[in-house]
Amino acid sequence: MALEAALPDAAAPSRSPVSPRHSRFSRPHWTLVAGALLLLLVALALCLGPTLAPYDPTAQALIRRLKPPSEAHWLGTDHLGRDVLSRLLVGGHFAVVIAAVTLTLSVVFGTLIGVISARKGGLVDEVAMRAVDLLISFPEVVVAIFLVALLGPGYGTLILALTIVGWTPFARLARGLAIEINAKPYIRAAEILGCSRRFIILRHIIPNAIGPISAMAFLRFGHKMITVGGLSYIGLGIQPPHADWAAMMAEAQPYIERAPLLVVCPGLAIFLTALSVTWIGQGLSQTGDKP
Amino acid sequence: MWHFALRRGTVLLLTLFVVSVVAFLIPYIGEGDPALLVLRARIADPNVDPATLEAMRRQLGLDRPLAIQYLAWLGDALRGDFGLSFIRRAPVGDMLGGALLVSITLALSALLLALLVSAPLGTLAAMRPGGRADTAATLLTQTLIAIPEYWMAPMGILIFALWLGWLPSAGWDGPASLVLPALVLALRPLAYFTRIIRAAMIDVLDAPYITAARSRGLGMTQTVMRHGLRNGAMPVITLFALWLAGLLGGSVVVEVIFAIPGMGRLIYEAVINKDIPVLQAGFVAIVALAVVINTLVDLAYLAINPALRHSHGA
Repeated sequence: MALEAALPDAAAPSRSPVSPRHSRFSRPHWTLVAGALLLLLVALALCLGPTLAPYDPTAQALIRRLKPPSEAHWLGTDHLGRDVLSRLLVGGHFAVVIAAVTLTLSVVFGTLIGVISARKGGLVDEVAMRAVDLLISFPEVVVAIFLVALLGPGYGTLILALTIVGWTPFARLARGLAIEINAKPYIRAAEILGCSRRFIILRHIIPNAIGPISAMAFLRFGHKMITVGGLSYIGLGIQPPHADWAAMMAEAQPYIERAPLLVVCPGLAIFLTALSVTWIGQGLSQTGDKP
Repeated sequence: MWHFALRRGTVLLLTLFVVSVVAFLIPYIGEGDPALLVLRARIADPNVDPATLEAMRRQLGLDRPLAIQYLAWLGDALRGDFGLSFIRRAPVGDMLGGALLVSITLALSALLLALLVSAPLGTLAAMRPGGRADTAATLLTQTLIAIPEYWMAPMGILIFALWLGWLPSAGWDGPASLVLPALVLALRPLAYFTRIIRAAMIDVLDAPYITAARSRGLGMTQTVMRHGLRNGAMPVITLFALWLAGLLGGSVVVEVIFAIPGMGRLIYEAVINKDIPVLQAGFVAIVALAVVINTLVDLAYLAINPALRHSHGA
C-alpha cells in the first residue's frame, strides 16, 4: 500500500559498525532467529493442525456453548459449542495462504518490472514508473472490497486485489537497486564480454538485489495478513462455517463480556504470526547482505 | 519542475478517466442489466414484466449507445450528482459528503495522535542509534505493526466501555465517541511514523550543520528542536499525507466495529446491499482523492526541495 511506500525499511543500509564485506558472514540479528523460530512454530501448527485438533473444528454442540477452559476443552468452546483450540489450529490458512501467494506474485512481478525498466530505460521505464506512481496510492482494502463486490469473496479475488496494488513498492525498490547495481564494474565487465541482457538481469542483477527485496516481502507479510483478516472480520473474506482467526473474533464479539478468551486467543494467533514475519524481515534487513 | 508537473498532471487526468470509466461500468459487470437492477431496487417482485423493463430502459436512457450514456453520467457526476441511493433513497452526493467529513475527522484525529507520540519517540531513538531508547522504540514499533485493529478495538471496548464505563462502545456523537476509534486507528501509523522519524533524524543529526551548531556550544535539546526537527520534517509530512489518503475508506474495519458513519462503512453497506450508485460514487471519490493527494505530495516535494528538481528526470 502507499502507506508504507515511503518507508526506508528494507532499502535502508545497515548501520552496523562491521564493514559490509564481513557482515555477510557475521552472526544473524537476534530478531531473525527469534522470528524464524516463532514462524516455524506457527507453520507446524498450521500444517499439523487438522491432525492435532482434538475435535472437529466445525462440529457444533449447543449444550456446551460458551464454556470456560476445561480439561476436555483446553481453551473452552464458542457460541455454537465448537472447540476453540481445534478451530485455532486450523484457522490460519486463509490469511496466511493469501498473504504468501500475494507476496510471491508481487515480488516476482515487481522485481521483473523494476529491473527491466531500470535496464531498458526510455519509454518502458517511463510507463512502468508512472503506473507505479498511481497504483501505489490506491488503498488496497478499498480495491479488495470493490473486487469482492464484483467477483464475490474467495482466494482468487483477494489475491488479485492485493497483487494489483502490491507489486508497486517492489518495482520501485527493485528499480532503485538495479540502477545502483548497473553502475558496478562487474556489470560493465559482463557487457564487454558480450553477455545478453537477459543473462545480465538473471545472473547478476536479480541475485544481487534479492536480499533487500525479500526483507521487504517479510516486512509486509504481517500487514497483508492483517488486511485479509480485516476483510474476513467484516464478512467479505472467508465464509462460514470455515474456521478463521479473524472470523472467529467477529463471531465472538457479541459474547466478549462473557467469554473474552474467544477474542483474545485468535487475536494472539494473528499477532504472533505477524510478529514472527516482521522480526524475520527486520533481521534480514539488518544482517545486511547488500551488494 | 514544470515539465514534471505537466507530466504528472497528464497521468493524473488519464487515471481519473480510467477510474470514471470503470465506475460507470460497475452496473454492467455484475448482473449485466442496469435497467433490471434499478427495477429490482424499486419493486420487490423478482418477476419483472418485460414491457415494464423495456419502458424503464427507455425512461433511464439505457437504450442509447454506451459512449453517450457515459458522457451523460460523467456530466452529472462532475456536478456532484451520482443519482439516488437504491436503499436510502437519498442523493448519493449528499451521503458521500457527510461520510467523507466523518472519515476525515477520524483520520486526522488518529494521525495527529500518532504524530504527537512518534515525534519525541523517533527523535529519542535517533539520538543514540542502537542505544536503549532505540531498542525499546524498535520493539514497540514491531509490536504495534503486528497488532490487528480488529483485535485492539474489541479489547478497547471491553476494557474502557464495558468494564470501566468511561467511553461509549460505539456510535458517532460527541468527542467521547471519537477517542477509542482514533486510538485504535493511531497504532499502526504511530509505528510507521516513529520509524521514518528515526531514520530522518539519524540522517539529519549526521549533517555538518548539526556538528557546527553543537561545536558552537548549543545544547543537544536545542539543536534538535531548532535544526533537527525542521530538516527532518519532509518525509514525515509525506507519510502523513499518504496515510490520510489511505484512511479515507481504508478505515473500513474500525468504522464497521464502532458503527461510525464514515466512507468505509458507507461502501461496506453499499457492497452488502448491492447499492450500485453509492458503490460507483464511493469508488470514484476514494480513488480520486488518493491519487490527487499522492500527486500533490510528489509536487510539493519538488517545490520544497530544489535539490530533487534536476535529479527527477527519469
